[in-house]
Amino acid sequence: MKKLFTFLRSRFVIIPLAIAIPVGAWNIYITQHADGVVYGQVLTADGLPVAGVTITMMEKNFTTNSERGKVVSATDGHFIFTNNRSHNIQLRASKQGYSESEQKVVRLYFKSQNVTLKEPLVITPNQDKP
Amino acid sequence: MSGLTSIGPNISPSTRRKPSAASPGSKARRELILVWCFLFPSLAVFFLYRILPLIWNLVLSVQKFSIFGQSEWIGFAHYWALLDDEVFWMALKNTLLFIASAPCGIVIALMISLMVNTEIRGRNIYRTIVFLSYPLMTVAVGIIWRWMYDEKVGLFNFILRTIGLIDTPLAFLQSFELALPAVLLANLWQILGFYMIILLAGLQNIPQNLYEASAIDGASRTVQFFRITLPLLRPSLFLAFVVGIMTSFTSFDLVYVMTQGGPSHSTELLVTYIYKAAFELSRIDYAATLTVVQFVLLVTLTWLGNRLSGGEAGAGRN
Amino acid sequence: MSQNMQPPSVKSLLSNGAKKRTSSHALPTWLLHISLLLISFCLLLPFYWVLKTSFTGENIFIYPPSLIPQDPHPFFYIDTWYYIPFARYLFNSVVVSVLAIVANVVFNAMAAYALTKHFKGKSLVITLLLSCLMIPFQTTIVPAYLITGKIGLLNSYLGVALPTFSTIVCIFIYKASFDAIPTSLIEAARIDGLSELQVILKIMIPLSSSAVASNVILSFIWSWNNFLWPLIVIRDPLMQTLPLGLSRFLSYHENTTGALYAFCTMVLVPGIIIFLMAQKEFIRGLTSGATKG
Repeated sequence: MKKLFTFLRSRFVIIPLAIAIPVGAWNIYITQHADGVVYGQVLTADGLPVAGVTITMMEKNFTTNSERGKVVSATDGHFIFTNNRSHNIQLRASKQGYSESEQKVVRLYFKSQNVTLKEPLVITPNQDKP
Repeated sequence: MSGLTSIGPNISPSTRRKPSAASPGSKARRELILVWCFLFPSLAVFFLYRILPLIWNLVLSVQKFSIFGQSEWIGFAHYWALLDDEVFWMALKNTLLFIASAPCGIVIALMISLMVNTEIRGRNIYRTIVFLSYPLMTVAVGIIWRWMYDEKVGLFNFILRTIGLIDTPLAFLQSFELALPAVLLANLWQILGFYMIILLAGLQNIPQNLYEASAIDGASRTVQFFRITLPLLRPSLFLAFVVGIMTSFTSFDLVYVMTQGGPSHSTELLVTYIYKAAFELSRIDYAATLTVVQFVLLVTLTWLGNRLSGGEAGAGRN
Repeated sequence: MSQNMQPPSVKSLLSNGAKKRTSSHALPTWLLHISLLLISFCLLLPFYWVLKTSFTGENIFIYPPSLIPQDPHPFFYIDTWYYIPFARYLFNSVVVSVLAIVANVVFNAMAAYALTKHFKGKSLVITLLLSCLMIPFQTTIVPAYLITGKIGLLNSYLGVALPTFSTIVCIFIYKASFDAIPTSLIEAARIDGLSELQVILKIMIPLSSSAVASNVILSFIWSWNNFLWPLIVIRDPLMQTLPLGLSRFLSYHENTTGALYAFCTMVLVPGIIIFLMAQKEFIRGLTSGATKG
């Protein structure tokens, strides 16, 4: 028995355990938080929410982008995607009468991570042509 | 370990085998069978993957190989073709340059092992740091160094330009003259640890009282080094040199990842040329010829190294 | 060399004091530390550089490179994990290595045990093994490929692991360890009625645990880092081992992305961790093999 304890305290057991336990905990965390929800807001440069904006989500492969889904923003400018399957997505907002927003790159820590965007997508209204 | 008393009681009388009443002849025969059964797996692996290939290489080199089994004998035609092949001579020259760079590494490793062999604190950490590069994957090492040599953003160009030695960036791995030294430096970084371990083992075998006695006799440090250390290190030094020879015949990974044989074959080694001939040019018989030449060269050089060291060399990486 | 004729106490006093002065390199300590630190810095610099790039992605296109990482992020590692079938390559490497380790330990111990007996032809076998040391793997690749093809093991785990199933260095390590066990112990065990297998399993292997550990770590490192043989044997992209996956990645994507360096680091880290855990056994295995004990 004593030999078993000595073996368990040796570096050949402690180090693999010290690696396996955080990895296991991280994987458990992943399964709890991987619903693919992307939640964000569209604002103008002045901070006013814009409704009815079409947000396109694109999934980035190594060299290509491919479109995954589109949603429309609500009256308070918020939008939500629920089917994100990737860890590297790009979002773009566009609406009639507004210039397109930048292509926002969102990199996640694991596939389908639930994320709330910290910074809003910004679109600016087109200047009225005289 | 536990004494025999722990083994004895575990065997109950019923399972205790009766002492064999057979004649010694059959017991010896049983033991002989056992011995050969135990030797069989290892010997089979060595036969299949060392001895048989050696012979088959010779056979292939005098054939015109056909994958459909109708190989025909053509004598030494491949060997004559070898003499005219300038890629072969280039590869041979590069391999010999590789071997010639080994003493440089051994000298550096000798300095390091002398320093690590003293009683300074943390010498185990230094020893680990120096040896760390040896067990790494050579492919990853090749990628790291390949990028450090990069023309636009590499570390070497940055350092050289900051110091002011050069004005325009040097394309190390694309230049005909600099590619081989660049690969040699990367190889040195990796093999330094192994040299150090060999030399350290040799240094630690030198009895300490030799130094004490010579100091009492009034010998200075330098004299001690040249009269005591070096002669007693001779076997280790030549063992390290044999390891260097082996490395130059086996450094496929590094060259393949860093330069793929280099700009105009300037980093082509015999082993990379064998691989290309067999698997990219599909000339299996020619590759076998190259292998035979490489093997003969290897054995000759190692035998020379053995003779010069006066002892037997040990194992490198298999 | 004069004989040391002082009485023992004076001699030990002299040797203690003399040891400081007559060690093989009696430079001042600070100088030693400075030179060793400089050498360590030069040797560790490539690690630092690749680690920095894998976390920041700078220096791939921008010159001059910065020395301190600015806004590090782990996203290259996540890219590598998902875009490249890293888990698959890892699994392949682990399977091949485990096969190689298990076969190595079993076959080498068996062969070494057989070599501890005396039988006709023993010296011939030993000479054969020693001469096989002179045949590096690289001189056998062409026929080995043909042989593996004929056996039908191309593109399989067994085919990749088979040439590494036994190594001569490790056989001699075991033999030295077995030879060091006193024969009286084995005789007593035989008198107690143990069969040959029990003698090996219960007495010799437990007493040679350091040889087993050295064998395990040596065969693991050699099999894990093996590049040329998998390159020749494996054709299916999903069967590739880690070194193969790394070099294929390099040839497809060159160095246009930080994911390459994240891949590099992810490949190096297990090797470094295992080496640091089993340093002593590894070095002992190499040196005892090098001196052919």
